Amino acid sequence: MEEKNSEQKNSEDTINLVIARLKTIPSNVELSVGNEGSFSVEELIEKVKKQDDIGKKMIEMQLAYLRSLSKLPTQDLQNAPAAN
Amino acid sequence: MLLLLTRPRYDTPTHYLFYWAGLLIDEAKRRGVNFIDLNKSKANKKQLHSYLTKQPVDTVILNGHGSPEAVAGEKNEVILSVGNGTDLFKKRTIFVRACDAGAILGKEIMENGAKGFIGYIQPFIFPADRDCFNEPLKDELAAPVLECSNQIGLSLIKGKSATEAHKDSLVKYAKAIDKYSSSATVNSFLLPILLWNMTSQVCYQ
Repeated sequence: MEEKNSEQKNSEDTINLVIARLKTIPSNVELSVGNEGSFSVEELIEKVKKQDDIGKKMIEMQLAYLRSLSKLPTQDLQNAPAAN
Repeated sequence: MLLLLTRPRYDTPTHYLFYWAGLLIDEAKRRGVNFIDLNKSKANKKQLHSYLTKQPVDTVILNGHGSPEAVAGEKNEVILSVGNGTDLFKKRTIFVRACDAGAILGKEIMENGAKGFIGYIQPFIFPADRDCFNEPLKDELAAPVLECSNQIGLSLIKGKSATEAHKDSLVKYAKAIDKYSSSATVNSFLLPILLWNMTSQVCYQ
C-alpha cells in the first residue's frame, strides 16, 4: 500500500514538474503536435493533467530533456539556463 | 537531379511547412535543380503516384501529417501508405517531414529498394508564435526547429546522400541546443523540443 502511494506521489510530482516546465513557454506560443493539431500552453497543461495521448507525449518530451541533463559534464550543467 | 516535393496547406502545421519547404524550392532554383512542386490541392495521391511512375525523380520530400504507416497530402488525404506506393521509391532518396512515418512506413520503403529514407519515429513537434501566423518565415521561435529539419532538404539538394543529410541536420540540432543552453539565451523552452525532434529523426540507407 505504501508503495502504491509512493508511485502515485511520484506521478503527481512528475506532472507538476512538467506543468512547471510548460509554464516557461510564452503565452503567445502554440505547439504543433503532428496530426493532433496546435495547442496553447493552457491546453497542453490540461492535457498533461488528464494524461491523454498529447499530455503523455509532453511528459515524455520534458522528461527526456531532463534526463539528458544528467548526462552532461558538470561544467555544462553549471552553464544550463534557468527557466525563462 | 529531379526533386519532387509535396506541400499541402490546410491547417497551422501544414501552413508552416508549406512556407518552410518553399525555402527548399528557392535553393533548388539557385542551384539549377529541376523540381516538381505538388502544392496545396496538387498534393494528392493520384499526382504523386503518377509523377513517381512517369518521371525520373531522384529525390522526394514529403511534407504533411503522418502516422507510423502513412503520410497525408492536402486535406489529410493519405497519399502514401504501407502496401500502397512504397514500391515507387526504388533507387530514390526520400525525406518524410511528418510524424511517426519512420517507424513502419520508412522501413517498408527501404525494403522495396529505396536508396535512402529520412523521417521521424515520433510526432514532429514545433512551436509557432501566434503573432507570426501570416509570416511563418519570420517566426523566430519556429525557426530553430524548422531550420534543423530543413537542413536535410538543403543537403539532399546539394547532392548529398541520406546519411550525410541526416548527419548535417543532427549537427545543426546540436548547435541549436548549444545556443539555447547558453545562460545568456532566452527561450530555453525550445531545448526539449529540439532534443525531441533530433532524437526522433531516423535515417535508413
